[in-house]
Amino acid sequence: MMLGFLKRAPSAPDACELGRSLVALALPVGAAPPASCQAVVVAQDGRTRRLQAARRIEARAGETAYAFHPGPYTADLVPFETAPEIGLRTSFAIDAPDPQASQQRFDLYLAAEVAGRLELGALAAAIEGALRHELATGGLELPPCTTLDEWNAFRQGLNQLLYMRFGLTVDDCLPVDLGDVRDYAQELAARAARQEQAALAAAPLEPSPMAVSNPERFDPAAEDARAMRRLFLELPCLMCGLRLAAMPAAPQQFQRQQALLQRLDLVSVAVNAMPALELAAPGQALAPEARLRRARHSRRACVSLDEAWALLARLRQAGEAGLPLLYDEAERIVANLEADCEGRRRTGEES
Amino acid sequence: MNNIPTRPQTVQCRCPLADGAELVLTATRRARAGRAEVKCSVPDDPRLAERMQQVVRLARLTEPSFDSRDQVVLSIDRRPPLAERGWELAAVLADRMVRGLLRPGAAGAANGWSDEWERGRVGGHTLASAASCSQGGTLLGGPAGLAHLGLLSGHGDPAAAVSAVRAWFPLHSGEAGSLGWVEVSVHPLARAAGQAGQDDALEEEQTIAAPGQDAARQLAVRQALCGARHFDGRATGRWRTAVRFSPHAMVGRSWELALVMADRLARGRDFVPRGRLIASGCSDAWHAGRVDPVDGVHPKCALLLREAAAGDRILLPRTWEGQLPDGFAEQLRAQGASVACVERIGLI
Repeated sequence: MMLGFLKRAPSAPDACELGRSLVALALPVGAAPPASCQAVVVAQDGRTRRLQAARRIEARAGETAYAFHPGPYTADLVPFETAPEIGLRTSFAIDAPDPQASQQRFDLYLAAEVAGRLELGALAAAIEGALRHELATGGLELPPCTTLDEWNAFRQGLNQLLYMRFGLTVDDCLPVDLGDVRDYAQELAARAARQEQAALAAAPLEPSPMAVSNPERFDPAAEDARAMRRLFLELPCLMCGLRLAAMPAAPQQFQRQQALLQRLDLVSVAVNAMPALELAAPGQALAPEARLRRARHSRRACVSLDEAWALLARLRQAGEAGLPLLYDEAERIVANLEADCEGRRRTGEES
Repeated sequence: MNNIPTRPQTVQCRCPLADGAELVLTATRRARAGRAEVKCSVPDDPRLAERMQQVVRLARLTEPSFDSRDQVVLSIDRRPPLAERGWELAAVLADRMVRGLLRPGAAGAANGWSDEWERGRVGGHTLASAASCSQGGTLLGGPAGLAHLGLLSGHGDPAAAVSAVRAWFPLHSGEAGSLGWVEVSVHPLARAAGQAGQDDALEEEQTIAAPGQDAARQLAVRQALCGARHFDGRATGRWRTAVRFSPHAMVGRSWELALVMADRLARGRDFVPRGRLIASGCSDAWHAGRVDPVDGVHPKCALLLREAAAGDRILLPRTWEGQLPDGFAEQLRAQGASVACVERIGLI
């Protein structure tokens, strides 16, 4: 009895934050999810199951139990990096489970991308990143002097994007003036001051070959493990989504869809049989630069994953007429995935 | 990116040098077939070819999406002089044009170098005098010309301490017209404490400069910007502003809307278009955010149809809505651009 009490105590202050600054939290074994929270158990191989509310969580060895609060949450997203004083005040929630889906998208997100806890700030940043990428590549349009029709189209696209990518439903989204909390002029002044200091501190370095394709340093092992987990878990779900998203009537488009599915299947196999990051051959270590190169490829493959989810969101809204264009895009994404998986497998530079 | 009708197979970009000679860079696109995404060749200089590949790869990091299906082969017609780096910008632009990221006519000739291609910055150019080449329409790198690759579509450098944004406006003179641009760069203003609210408007006008323009244009620029900033409500007393125009001769006031929108974008107060912002319109009441009509619907629409590229955003006065040629909006959409007829500036 005492033991159980002690066990639960450390997580209590955090658990209170669920629904406010915290969206999801891994629970210690034997704890019950806090009131009004739901529980998801994630197995080591990424399979997930939801538990009935307000029951003791029974997790088997190797499983992690998450409690999450369905919300609603509100976050101010900044859709453009160069327009920090304009935001979108978005409120979203984790929807009731869709009985038709075999796995809820939010559960997959928890399994594939969350380690231990999911802060609201981190989730908002991920949403903002997905939104910015879509705006930059033209999947969503939010141009200056947006007309009402364009705004409605944007809202629908955003709803679909957040549902497909994170399993969130958007309740409300309004443009807001963030001038009270962000001052672009001061940010620019601070940037100028920083650059002056940096210029004084160090003479500019010659670009070395290493810096070429690797402007910022990162930990290859951690990045690669995270990316490979995402690829391993999300590719099968993506294929399932592509099958379900549209049933092309035109034979030509149907063939393209089938070809895409086959190629994705092969990519999925390649991911499952991916060599370890640090091995060039069994028992033969790989040089650190080559590991970095491999990790860069797996990171880029994750960008393609994000694009693929966004594309699925667009596919669900598009009619038959929009399919050729979207399949063009899908072919690009799959080609990128293939190229990056190939790059992740290789031990040396390509010719 | 996804609805570019035709991408060229081969693109050339010239690079004039300080001694009057010219290099020609040729970019060719072909199927990747498992090869490197960029291949470069320089006669008798494999190390320079390596450097060129490095430059192009770095510059590609600033693009939002990538396509691994193409290989671009870049070649230069002869070996550049030692320590000559002006070809770098030409290589980057040729690589973008051949992949359809830039219109093929965007840059026929260019000269520029950079130490920060991965951030899209262009450090400068190697021509002795900018004037010697300006008649040929050469794109020059550096603060006086193209300081950032994003500026080709009007966007500011997201990491710079000065926010500079370009917007375009249609110029029409008889048959031939072209797009002129206006560039607004804003610097944060260190504000002295205790300024009286009375002369805020006057003060604001003092912080706006349009170097190289005559007094009447200066005044028009200042009044338009002050009015629009008054409408914005949060802009006065925070910025020092410089306005530059493209070297076209122009009459009339239809550049005002482009100026006002460039100012809003530079101050980070409006949604950012994916491509260029092209606007035509003026106003007698910028302080109310109103957009008034201008002349020349038909020649300007014809020009816009010729010039519009994927991602461009076109803003026209609301009164033009009924006068637009048939199928104007549809054709623009087919080219990847979008158009809106606006009554007033503002978010929606």
